[in-house]
Amino acid sequence: MSSASALLEPRTAVPAEDALERYRLDARAWLAEHAPRFSGAVRRGLPLERDVALGRAWQALKAAHGYGAITLPKRYGGGGGTELQKIVFTEEELRYDLPVAYFSISLSNPVPIFLRHAPETFRQRLGPPAIRGEHIWCQLFSEPAAGSDLAALRLRAERQGDGWVLNGQKLWTSWAQIAQWGVIVTRTDPDVPKHAGLTYFFLDMRSPGISVRPIRRLVGHPDLNEVYFDNVYVPDEQRLGEVGGGFRVAIETLMIERYGITDETASSPALEALVELARRARLNGRPALADGEVRAAIARAYVERQGLRSIQKRAMEAIAAGREPGPEGAIRKLLLGRMRQQLGALALDLMGADGIRLDPQGESSRDFAHAWLDPSVRIAGGTDEVLLNTLAERVLGLPQDHRPDKGVPFRQLES
Amino acid sequence: MDFSLSQEQQIFQDSARRMLETECRFETRGPLIAKGSFDGDRWRAIAEMGWLGMALPEEHGGFGGGAIETALLMEEIGRVLMVEPVWAIAVLTAHALLASGDERALALLPRLVAGEVLPVLAHNEADAGGVTEHVATVATPTAQGGWRISGEKTLVVGGNIADRFLVSARTSGRTGDREGISLFLVAADAAGLRRQNVRLIDNRWAAHLLLENVQVDKADVIGRVGGAIDALDEAHAYGLLAACAEAIGVMDRALWITRDYLKVRKQFGTTLSSFQALQHRMSEMLIELELSRSMLHRALSLFHAGPEIRRQALAAAKVHIGRSGKFVCGQAIQLHGGIGVTEEYVIGHYFKRMTTIEHELGHSHFHLQRLAELEQRRGTPVAPLAARNAA
Ligand SMILES: Cc1cc2nc3c(=O)[nH]c(=O)nc-3n(C[C@H](O)[C@H](O)[C@H](O)COP(=O)(O)OP(=O)(O)OC[C@H]3O[C@@H](n4cnc5c(N)ncnc54)[C@H](O)[C@@H]3O)c2cc1C
Repeated sequence: MSSASALLEPRTAVPAEDALERYRLDARAWLAEHAPRFSGAVRRGLPLERDVALGRAWQALKAAHGYGAITLPKRYGGGGGTELQKIVFTEEELRYDLPVAYFSISLSNPVPIFLRHAPETFRQRLGPPAIRGEHIWCQLFSEPAAGSDLAALRLRAERQGDGWVLNGQKLWTSWAQIAQWGVIVTRTDPDVPKHAGLTYFFLDMRSPGISVRPIRRLVGHPDLNEVYFDNVYVPDEQRLGEVGGGFRVAIETLMIERYGITDETASSPALEALVELARRARLNGRPALADGEVRAAIARAYVERQGLRSIQKRAMEAIAAGREPGPEGAIRKLLLGRMRQQLGALALDLMGADGIRLDPQGESSRDFAHAWLDPSVRIAGGTDEVLLNTLAERVLGLPQDHRPDKGVPFRQLES
Repeated sequence: MDFSLSQEQQIFQDSARRMLETECRFETRGPLIAKGSFDGDRWRAIAEMGWLGMALPEEHGGFGGGAIETALLMEEIGRVLMVEPVWAIAVLTAHALLASGDERALALLPRLVAGEVLPVLAHNEADAGGVTEHVATVATPTAQGGWRISGEKTLVVGGNIADRFLVSARTSGRTGDREGISLFLVAADAAGLRRQNVRLIDNRWAAHLLLENVQVDKADVIGRVGGAIDALDEAHAYGLLAACAEAIGVMDRALWITRDYLKVRKQFGTTLSSFQALQHRMSEMLIELELSRSMLHRALSLFHAGPEIRRQALAAAKVHIGRSGKFVCGQAIQLHGGIGVTEEYVIGHYFKRMTTIEHELGHSHFHLQRLAELEQRRGTPVAPLAARNAA
């Protein structure tokens, strides 16, 4: 993140605007032709396994048309396109209810970082199947004692011959149960301060000694897992970055999505769906849409959406002009999370009884009850509080909180 | 305004808390929930504690308590997220039966209190949204002098284990009229009655009832034909009060569980509780809780001050509690981080219970509207709703 002044810079014209618009229209037409076979009613009632299979087929089709991983290099099966094209395509794709969630982490962070740092033979072998959706990659960062404070992680990696032996536990690993590969941050040196003793690897999730246990979520999303490592061997050639340089690679991984969620609803039903709901629902015997407070809430949400779209546009312009986007991503994620909860609450009120009878087939992107009961967008990928800290420190130039563990060898912190 | 409890009330609260904390442990409640959140032995034990009749007069088998006892017990029930239908049976149904003044109903009360019968008020309908007089289910007279009932009742909490229903149906007038609603006692296995059990998001159970030409006798009418609204109002007043008290218990525990978590969870080499941003958040939660608690106390003190004033006080409490509940329980999850969104850990369940309470007997929006109307009727100028909301 650069500085607040990026926000204040005058709008620069986007030279490639026409080309981008053409790209959008092509994508829209392509999606209209293919997406219906993979979305909506087709998916209703599918067990996870079959929905994943459908997702893989969709991913393969996208890859065959250059939409599989738009910004990744062509030689590994990517689209070789720009970040803007990716944002545009994602916006269009999100109009459909497609089985893309299984790849959202895989292709956003682990696979790109792997393609940046891995030896060429591995890239050629593993890049294409990942982009075609045959392989799903997971991101093994968080641990019980290391959430917001990633550098506090404990999972040990110790030298053994030409490789490393891993012992410990990861937590909150999305889609570990269907992942073939993963990227992982480990502690290789506990005698130096916490950031300095970490090393980064990629590994085969079917390696002996790995066990994956599901974690049940409040609304029954089947994504989260705990992953245990019991003497898991990883060859040194699967190291990404220097020994002791793992923290830098981890941060680089998290920064790849320079501009996080592109979905303006944060995976909840759109504002239009809420208006539709308010049109049908009744409050005190009258249409809910006639209620002053409902109208005010909807109007506020519309205004805020304009603001968010404008922030989005500015970030896109910054990217197009080759600049790092400023704090737009953090601001947008914070506001989207809040708006999703406010509208979820209102929607639930309007839904009446349906709101507290959970549809087991529901999904947060089309079911308000799910969106309301699942506040995890405000936790995953950097909590609200951590984002606020980032804005305070990076943009406002305010000092960091007191960090008593600064400079202290990790071993002394472990207790 | 604060309530100093009498010695008996204090003892009642203490014993309820002890019993509930041992009997309603979150970690062990799975099998109970799987059985429909009901177990005959446990229910008899609840009855033996006197909880099913705490707010009923002694001549009907109760223990002579009132609104305060109801609130005390419900707050404790909220604290442990009890899943059994005490609210549905001992509050809503018992007060509807009592207020009906009907002999058959009154005769049923001692057996309800003893846990021998499980009558459940089946009043709520899909489009009611908190309006007590919204009854679209109809009862038409039969040639034999009885009645034939048809309609649908939805989200009848505890309906899954009811042995009989106290069904409201319209015997005259139109949906929404206060006159013309009657109550009928209907056996749970009556011909033409179909019940579909649903588990609510907070692991309580409810039933959806479909009544198709259910035949009842003349003697099954409870109270005056067409004159059930007063009994329903009374039941709803107790029900609202109890729901608000339960919500206070829910918020209170969610707050303190979170406080305790922040004191032990370490990140960045220190406990989360040392981050002032989080301390302030917790203080905001406390403010909301205490405001809500005061609203409950206000409603309690005005509970017998006449129907209009009571209605106003209960609506105000429900509005406030609904909003603070979303904030307090939502932030309780947020401050827990990832562990907050898991089914295995308790904190998310406080959020879920709060969400269902918000939907009981009319949500915040509904009650805010109702308040505005009550004020308008009294001639007080009302601030535009949008302005209030922005505050
Ligand atoms: C749906 C979901 C999917 C996830 N997927 C993955 C995944 O695939 N891979 C992976 O590695 N991880 C994943 N995570 C984990 C996620 O990254 C962590 O949950 C997140 O970083 C927060 O960590 P924590 O849960 O340990 O909470 P904590 O860090 O313990 O935070 C608890 C509370 O304290 C606050 N807090 C913490 N530090 C500060 C501070 N300095 N100042 C103020 N407040 C603070 C937090 O904001 C939060 O409110 C996922 C999480 C979720 C919910």
